[in-house]
Amino acid sequence: MPEKPIKGEKRYFMTGNEVVAYAALAAGADIMYGYPITPQNEIMHYWTRLAPRYGKDFLQTEDELSAGFTTVGGVLAGKKSFTATAGPGNTLMQEPVSMAEAMRLPIVVVIQQRGGPSTATVIYSQQEVTMTTIGGNGEGFRIVYSTATHQELFDYTIKAFNAAWKYRFPTFVLGDGYQAKMRESLTMYDPEEKGIPIVPSEPYVGKPGVPGVDRPPGQYRNTYNVEEELYEVVENLARDFNAIAPEVAEYESLEAGRSDLVVVSHGVISRAVKEAVSELREAGASVGYFRPVTLRPLAEKELRDAANKAKAMLLVESANGQMARLIKDAAYGCKAEMIPLYKPGMGITAEEVAAKIRSILG
Amino acid sequence: MAKAVKIILAGEGGQGVQSVAEIIAEAANEEGREALYIPNFGVEQRGGVSVAYLQIGDRPIGSPKFLKADIVIALSDRAVYRTLKYVGPETVFVYDAGIKGVEDVIPKSARKVLAIPALQVANEELNPRVFNVIIMGAVVRATEVVSQDRAKDAIEKKLGYKFEKNPELRDLNFKAIDRGAELVTGLV
Repeated sequence: MPEKPIKGEKRYFMTGNEVVAYAALAAGADIMYGYPITPQNEIMHYWTRLAPRYGKDFLQTEDELSAGFTTVGGVLAGKKSFTATAGPGNTLMQEPVSMAEAMRLPIVVVIQQRGGPSTATVIYSQQEVTMTTIGGNGEGFRIVYSTATHQELFDYTIKAFNAAWKYRFPTFVLGDGYQAKMRESLTMYDPEEKGIPIVPSEPYVGKPGVPGVDRPPGQYRNTYNVEEELYEVVENLARDFNAIAPEVAEYESLEAGRSDLVVVSHGVISRAVKEAVSELREAGASVGYFRPVTLRPLAEKELRDAANKAKAMLLVESANGQMARLIKDAAYGCKAEMIPLYKPGMGITAEEVAAKIRSILG
Repeated sequence: MAKAVKIILAGEGGQGVQSVAEIIAEAANEEGREALYIPNFGVEQRGGVSVAYLQIGDRPIGSPKFLKADIVIALSDRAVYRTLKYVGPETVFVYDAGIKGVEDVIPKSARKVLAIPALQVANEELNPRVFNVIIMGAVVRATEVVSQDRAKDAIEKKLGYKFEKNPELRDLNFKAIDRGAELVTGLV
């Protein structure tokens, strides 16, 4: 069996779906469970092409419900398992992800957002933000990385596996159809050569010895008889999630504390925002940007700081206010006026963002 | 630094616009430039107009798609209609001279409109199979996003295994690049 898929550092030019498959390999994933849906299909295609060469496995299931539950099963058995989906598949995936949330299991799910609601388009959107951050019949105890470039798709897919197995919360890489299908350059590397250790996995069930005698019992439950019992479990989940939030939360910003207007965006849209903001700053405009990299948990302190110092925040997204809901909730009571630029299911260009900024600043 | 050059290539399925966009993007990447290429894709399995969005520059590229292109190349009548929305006052609009019945819809507002006889050159001088390579030569010369030599290197990289078996194919493809370039020389 050939050793490592990637040695040294090398520049590649490929699609985002291909990047994810390589990143999962680099992160030490053992098995992918999946069901085809555009625009994530090629993650499966490339994984199935690469997997046999490195002793990895793949199972195609009958739908996304099953793909999610088999991923949970793989995790329980000690395998680094992941799945990938989009749109209506993400909807079905919420049920197994809720189970992982209940059991504190490290499941990794890659989402390539497509248009919604329902079948809609297979192309692109940022309309799976609400579902991915706080979907399911729970409290949204999940880690969600929203990527913008192929480099980030690689970096954060690796990070997602490590975060999932370190913190044991469901972890998402939230991409989109554009990132899935476009080609651009990135540098791939072996994480361990770069000083990024891979967090090991272990089986959660079927360990040797008698539970409670030779080892502590597992207690992987998603069913409770009484309210008090559940209440205690959810309170513990909330406490643990809040405790890790500050070290998990990531953001990027430019002059967010020193500008009249701060443009907030995430994912692929932040590329257009960065371009627009830098161009207008060169022309002397008092404008900065704030980009949450993690949509869950949010970098609340830094966001609130920006929202208290700016006169206004321009919220830009390819959805009808899904990111905005998260931002407004976190920035509740802050003084900045919140101005929307929403284009659900459509890309947004730097020119459009720049025009909006000019109209606000006057 | 100059902004990225924005290119739209559109044609019927089988005309090879996606291959052309991909090869140019890879050639630019090989030169160490920033390149981003994305095809259109939808639920149709066949029968749609194929559109390639290509951007090449020296800084990280912003959004993958764009509103107005610097150059639009339309290779069928349907592709002409489909790409009209990407034409602004700064756009060079290139279409194949063999496309009939589109005279009235060709955008008057474009910076420049060029009808090039690519299909005719392919059929009469070279080979219908290298039609898209002629287009590639025209795009490369019109935009100067990569050199003609680099474009040939990229073709060699892609089809080298075929050229090994049949060296005449290499000459044919390289000639197609040069002829494509000639079609727009001095016109853009």
